[in-house]
Amino acid sequence: MRIKHKFASKMKTLATGTALAVAVLASGWVAVPQAIAAEKIKFYFPTSVQGRLAIIMKEVVAEYNKSQSDVKVIAVYTGSYAETGIKASAAMEAGNPPAVAMVGANNVLEFVQKKQIEPIASFLKADNKTSAEFLQDFWPGVRFNAMVNGELYAVPFQNSTPILYYNKDHFKEVGLDPDTPPANWKQLIEFGKKLVRKDGAKTTRYGLMFPQQVGYGNWILQGFVMANGGQYYNTEYPGEVYYNSPTTKGALQFYDDLAHKYGIMPDTVTPSSQVAADFFAGRTSMMIASTGALGNVRKNAKFKYGVGFVPGNVRNAVPVGGASMVIFKGQSEAQRAAAWKFVSWITSADQLGSWSRASGYFSPRKSSYDMDVMKDFIAKYPDAGVAVKQLKYTKPWYSTYNYLAVAQPMGDAFQAVITGKSSVTQAAAAAQAKADELLAPFNNVAGYPTK
Amino acid sequence: MSSGIKVWLYLTPALFFLVMFTYYPMVQVLWDSFFFKAYGQETASFVGFDNYARLFRDPEFGVAVKNNIIYAVGTVIPSLAVGFGLALALMESTRFKNFARAIFFFPTLVPLIAAAALWIFVYFPNIGLLDYYLAKIGIGSTNWLGDSDIALFSMMLLSIWKNAGFYMLFYIAGLQGIGEEYYEAAELEGASYFQRLRYITLPLLGPTTAFVFIIALIHVFTYVDHVIMMTKGGPIGSTNLVLYYIFQNAHEFNDAAKATTSTVVSVIALLAFSFFSIRTMERGIHYES
Repeated sequence: MRIKHKFASKMKTLATGTALAVAVLASGWVAVPQAIAAEKIKFYFPTSVQGRLAIIMKEVVAEYNKSQSDVKVIAVYTGSYAETGIKASAAMEAGNPPAVAMVGANNVLEFVQKKQIEPIASFLKADNKTSAEFLQDFWPGVRFNAMVNGELYAVPFQNSTPILYYNKDHFKEVGLDPDTPPANWKQLIEFGKKLVRKDGAKTTRYGLMFPQQVGYGNWILQGFVMANGGQYYNTEYPGEVYYNSPTTKGALQFYDDLAHKYGIMPDTVTPSSQVAADFFAGRTSMMIASTGALGNVRKNAKFKYGVGFVPGNVRNAVPVGGASMVIFKGQSEAQRAAAWKFVSWITSADQLGSWSRASGYFSPRKSSYDMDVMKDFIAKYPDAGVAVKQLKYTKPWYSTYNYLAVAQPMGDAFQAVITGKSSVTQAAAAAQAKADELLAPFNNVAGYPTK
Repeated sequence: MSSGIKVWLYLTPALFFLVMFTYYPMVQVLWDSFFFKAYGQETASFVGFDNYARLFRDPEFGVAVKNNIIYAVGTVIPSLAVGFGLALALMESTRFKNFARAIFFFPTLVPLIAAAALWIFVYFPNIGLLDYYLAKIGIGSTNWLGDSDIALFSMMLLSIWKNAGFYMLFYIAGLQGIGEEYYEAAELEGASYFQRLRYITLPLLGPTTAFVFIIALIHVFTYVDHVIMMTKGGPIGSTNLVLYYIFQNAHEFNDAAKATTSTVVSVIALLAFSFFSIRTMERGIHYES
């Protein structure tokens, strides 16, 4: 400790000395401007779907820095949603948190539990607004994940749902109507069977693919479980998951059938990068992926593509996904003010709208869609409109205690079913047992909802 | 100044950093492994060997250990064999062989994280480098990283490619250290190439092999970048190695106790294994005096 302190003070002396020397030298030549230095704040951001967005985000932040002189935001790209959560949390524990971070919407609960982020109400007070008034403009589907224990902790920034992308040329080729995507699971199988191409025993074209890495794959599965009429987790109490329920097992059975009974999708695990590449190369006729991939598809699909709702079974239902802005504790008063100023700007209807158009995510603010520029955009790209229309079927993203650990056993379970390593019954039971064990210690955490 | 003081003076800078960054953290981790801090609790409480009991009950830890052993055997032995083969072929210094050495050594210079990014493309089904060329000889596409039966072997191949050239360098140095007179004598006696290899080269390379073996072993237990980059331990935990297990528990699963405990277990295992393998191998090694 002493060593660290000594070293730090030495560095400080050195830095001050250098600064003084530079100032003395400079003052001899030019008048030093008397401007008040802008408040510097750090901003961690991830990209989940495409690397291109990291570049656009840097441009957005540069634009903000140029637009005013009070705040200077330093944007730091921190990898995936999960990585950004880990890094921000670790930086907080090391005493050097970012002022603002964009984190996975279902990561908010964990930050609140670790007492690392500020409630938004404290900032709204200055604007004479309540959280409820503030949330009025946000789609109902995105509100839930921003709240913990009835209090607002995050401002939704980019949101998405799973959506069905399909290759219209392939539909035409096999005699399907290119303007009618499959509406339910039955049609998904029926269409899928028609679209599969084989060369002997080898499949050269699959009917359907979707991301199956742990995390992304859990999100897609949550959609299938809800479409099958059930719940993936307890929205009232984040210490319970329904991995072994009949509806979850039904969804897993559907995976099993798609991979093994009908051969519509591969019987190996396909990550999102592969799904997108195979869709662009025409090796799968349909894919289910985030609406956040819309921008990417628009740019890379060399064929006519269509977009439709994710097919339902007993109902249409998709989980909301995406990321929200949170403000970290441990800031000075000036930094707090600067952080809120930046968050207010970047989550304005105008900014959210232009981010939506650049990325494909939908804007969490309703008023973004009242703007003419947005109306024109949707007229030009109707697929963006489909994403918005699907909003009425959205439900909250699974957000449990210790969510990464709890997601892992379900990830292992659906991968085991897809690869034929385990039966549905076995996989679901094992995942439930492991999740129950992980969630047991949370039954009695003071200050949090219990069973 | 007495020579004793001088020795310590020379050692101080190195010792300082070793203590700060190696031995102190080791002791700290050992200490921490006897404590448990429940989620949401402010303080950790002493739990004795509970964390160890919990670790050994965890089937995922068993899977990680098993994977790591398979991965170690499947990586260390082939990369030593390939390294030795390359060294035999490229031992003499000619212009071509120097160039070839540089080619085979090159993967060592590539950071593992970059190599992993590269190999994601190599292993990409259908359009990846591997599948592209395999298709030309009539072999269909394979999901190299997405098939839980194959993924670990795909990781091994990457490691062998990455490390064999490095081990080749040690073997070349070792081979060049063997005196010509042994071979001349053997040739006079009419020993065949393989007899010379078996009775002169291999025994005299004993110290080199022992050294390279330990290096290679440490390598497979302490490098995990490619797992994080390529598979995240999946599918279904089939490429989960002990170090990744530690990483996940520490950073993703909020289980620092399990992470410290498994660190202690793996460090002890690695130390014990290095110790015994050096001992056993030394018995059979001929050191030149």
